Amino acid sequence: MEFNIINPVSVKELLGAVKKEKHFRFGAGCTDLLMELRKKPDEGLTVINLAQVKDNSFTGIKKSAKGIRMGAMFTAHQIVMNEELKKTFPVLHDSAHNLASTQIRQVATVGGNLCTASPSGDIACALVALRADCELLNTTQKTRTVNISTFFTGVRQTALKPNEVLYGISIPANHKNTKNNYSGFIKVGTRRSMECSVVSLAYHIQVNVEGKILKAGVAIGASAPTVRLAESACDFLIGKTFKNITQKEKEEFADKVLSYASPITDIRATAWYRKEVLYNISKSIFE
Amino acid sequence: MKPKLKVIGTSVPKQDAGMRVTGKAIYGHDIKLQGMLYGAILRTEHPSAIIESIDTSAARKLEGVYCVITADDVDVNNIGYKRDHPILKKGEANCTRDEIAAVAAETKEIAKQALKLIKVKYKVRKGIYDVHEALKEQAPQINKFISGKFSNKNIAETFHYEHGNLEEEKKKSAHIVSRKFTLPRMTHACMATSNVTASYNMLDKKLLLYSSTQVPFLYQRDMAHALKMNPSDIRVIQPIIGGGFGSKLDIHPFEPICALLSIKTGKPVQILYSREEEFIASPIRQPMEIELTAGVDKDGNFTFREINIVKDNGAYTSWGATTPFVIMQSFSSLYKLKACRFNATAVYTNNVFAGSFRGYGNPQATFALERVIDLLADKLGMDKAEIRLKNANEKGEVTGQGLHYDTCGHKECLDTVIKKSKYHSFRNSDNGTLRNTNKNESTNNGSRFKKGIGLASMLHVGGGAKIYRSDGCGTTIKIDPYGYCTIITGSNEIGQGSETVLAMMASEELGIDLKKIKVINTDTDVKPWDVGVHASRTSFVAGNSLLGAIKILKEKLNKKAGELLKSDDTAYEYENGNIYPLRNTNINESTNTENKASKLTKEIANTDSYIRNDSDFVKLDKVVREMHFTEPNELAVANFFYEPSSKFQDKDFKGNVSGSYAFAAQAIEVEVDTYTGNVKVTDIYVAQDVGKVLNPLLLGGQIEGGILQGVGYALTEELLMHEGKILNPNFHNYKMLTAADIPNIHFFPIETNDKEGPYGAKGVGEAPLIPTAAAIANAVCNALGLEVIDLPITPEKVMKALASKNTETIQTKNK
Repeated sequence: MEFNIINPVSVKELLGAVKKEKHFRFGAGCTDLLMELRKKPDEGLTVINLAQVKDNSFTGIKKSAKGIRMGAMFTAHQIVMNEELKKTFPVLHDSAHNLASTQIRQVATVGGNLCTASPSGDIACALVALRADCELLNTTQKTRTVNISTFFTGVRQTALKPNEVLYGISIPANHKNTKNNYSGFIKVGTRRSMECSVVSLAYHIQVNVEGKILKAGVAIGASAPTVRLAESACDFLIGKTFKNITQKEKEEFADKVLSYASPITDIRATAWYRKEVLYNISKSIFE
Repeated sequence: MKPKLKVIGTSVPKQDAGMRVTGKAIYGHDIKLQGMLYGAILRTEHPSAIIESIDTSAARKLEGVYCVITADDVDVNNIGYKRDHPILKKGEANCTRDEIAAVAAETKEIAKQALKLIKVKYKVRKGIYDVHEALKEQAPQINKFISGKFSNKNIAETFHYEHGNLEEEKKKSAHIVSRKFTLPRMTHACMATSNVTASYNMLDKKLLLYSSTQVPFLYQRDMAHALKMNPSDIRVIQPIIGGGFGSKLDIHPFEPICALLSIKTGKPVQILYSREEEFIASPIRQPMEIELTAGVDKDGNFTFREINIVKDNGAYTSWGATTPFVIMQSFSSLYKLKACRFNATAVYTNNVFAGSFRGYGNPQATFALERVIDLLADKLGMDKAEIRLKNANEKGEVTGQGLHYDTCGHKECLDTVIKKSKYHSFRNSDNGTLRNTNKNESTNNGSRFKKGIGLASMLHVGGGAKIYRSDGCGTTIKIDPYGYCTIITGSNEIGQGSETVLAMMASEELGIDLKKIKVINTDTDVKPWDVGVHASRTSFVAGNSLLGAIKILKEKLNKKAGELLKSDDTAYEYENGNIYPLRNTNINESTNTENKASKLTKEIANTDSYIRNDSDFVKLDKVVREMHFTEPNELAVANFFYEPSSKFQDKDFKGNVSGSYAFAAQAIEVEVDTYTGNVKVTDIYVAQDVGKVLNPLLLGGQIEGGILQGVGYALTEELLMHEGKILNPNFHNYKMLTAADIPNIHFFPIETNDKEGPYGAKGVGEAPLIPTAAAIANAVCNALGLEVIDLPITPEKVMKALASKNTETIQTKNK
């Protein structure tokens, strides 16, 4: 495994490097990249190491009336340790907490999790359920915002253009009338750590004081070429009272979630198993 | 009255713990010798193929390459238990691991590049990956190096054992259960990958090997045979070993290959496996099919067991083929049994070959046996704990196979875990549903999570195993003029903590501070003979050997101490670096009436008749100086060779093969998630007859590590293969469990104080993992009311089983 490495220390230097380099990959925590390069060496590759970029907009977190914005280099560990995120978006906290291991969470970044664009990305799945926006910065210092659902275009493919870098992720604030939301991340695998999701389900269901569902975000992981928002399942919930969801409605909801799944059979599980489990864990949200 | 033990039985941390956690430990990977080259191995592209030609010319020309070898370039013997394994393959490849060529180069990168330049022409064959296919008449012969003494050309080894009148016992049986179980490939996945550094000296024609072997003296002999050298011209040094678990019992081709590269180049050569290579080319636990038929009479007494085992031997024969030695022992002698008939056949295939693995076939045997015991209890309508207690082994029992249970904690182990786990309040053994749980969601009626509890016990050798001409171990002990002690032991340290336990014994007996005790155990040029680390034998055999040496040394020291103290007393106490004479006040008193523990441990002092005066002593170092420097100028050194009292088994596999026997029982609680098929092991209750606890901390480490390996075997670990190729050669997809998966472990050591063991101790290393998979399987069956017939019990298998149990549910879900 051999590659050149560039270490920009500011966003300006970073954009300069992107402009200059022809054959490059971004390295954030490098937890996926190094494994990939070891398996498939890429001759003449330059890794633009993002870990030295100091700009707070790229590494920090900021709260506003509109929501919370994390820089792309915000780490899984920082997500886990952030009390505000834990309180406001439990699904995000859970997804980061379930990621790999303590050691890997120290370096793994939210931007890396998104740009790897793995169908089984855990933080990615949570952010889809949260309907987050991705902020892309190009070499002319212009930003554009794409919704996370359109950010993923295929297995390990994203909407990023060659002259762009993922700059930050914004999560819209919860509905102002909500209280005690139902939010969580269900990861199915065989180990409790160092596990790649066999199936995952992220849900962020916002309810008002009476428990009526005002907004819902439900995303599935490891069940389709990309993480997917189960839009019709989300719509199905609006207006219903969470605690009063009937057995029949649970099943209808689970069926709707399942309709977004087109899982594959691989070494970790069969498509049959993934569907079966996705259906079950979808129901389990209400149990 | 026994003097109180001061060091033995305390939690002394492992001697090299600090070095290991600070990264200072020198593993094989850290060795760098002057001018050292790096070796790399080209393996076959196809698990079964004719090798038509090998062209190494381009590789030889590459700058930085010193040597390229193929089978044509070397004059060597085959390796392996059956000598059926060529080091480098010629003419054909029979296994995905097959070594076709090897390179030595200046750097690892050049070596790898050189491998790519080697052109091999293969004619791909279909290959045989199923034992039953291999046994068919039209199947081609897979291994051409065997004598062909068996009925089928693809049989590598067979075992037949029996005792009692099987037909008679069948007639007496009220119930008979018959099942076929399938056991998976599991790999050791040692944290340190395989490594060897060879340095051949062209001047004196001697070979130095830095090797992670578990059995340096057998390794030396095997290496010499392979390389056609004199064993004594080979010196084996063991660096710190990052995991053995049985994987390093066999010699593997990469080791003589490394030696050959060094011999050819005259330079030191190192071969280190990558993690992927480790998964592909290091040994596995032998996969097998076990057909077990067992009976029970109307009162619940076990009557007979009939066992037929077909083992997938892979392409070559390793020590793994001899696991039936241990397997038959569990079938014949775990629980009282009147009749047993056992057949095992190892069959060649083009799959990867096995090696030995902690438990040595016993986890497989125990899984099948304990599963069938549950089924027999069900047939009888008998409580699953009761049937086990009723048939449990007892002290004084001589089993049908001839094992002598001088001490036996079987019943006590079972009793302990049954009580501590509150087995009976947890479980209603009639229908497997729960009688008593605290949480509403945990009741088993129609809810998502199903709880279950399972029992299993085990029998394993606890005092070595006489399978080689000697099961012994030699020790040299010396004390220097400054009062420091050096133990030179034949035994090895592969992480199990034997060096610490030996130092503790010396500290106990000689009253020397642990910091002043050194253990030398890594060099075949220095240390005396020992058969190696296996069969949970080291603390037992090496411990007894050390105690024997100490006894001789003490006689010398006592004599000199007596001279210096102008005393004619015969009893002395060693403490704090001093020797205290014990003045005898009652001449007639017998001195060792209560010596139940080892004959070799601390001399027994009856405190009623022997009195120690704390101001009446001589310093140990002074005694040694006086021995050395005054006439007759004697060294404070002693040698001892300990050979266990065990016997070779006869041709029918009968005989008392071990110095003592270890027993254990586990009760395991699981919670099965019927939505995902995940089995969560919540609590493991372990009771193990360890004879005597020598070091609670190290014992706890063996228990926890073993159990997690057992949980992995039960639930997650499997090396997946398709047509001879390994599909998951990485930790990503080979699901070895991590610290986060450790369940609550409740450990209860049972001390039976076996007179053969050091301080009464028995071997402990393998036992913790042996009954784990069996107990988990029984717990899962209890939780779900389903049968488990193979391992691992993956979520997918659970979901499939649940789906076929309830077709209505499937239809709902599949719409």
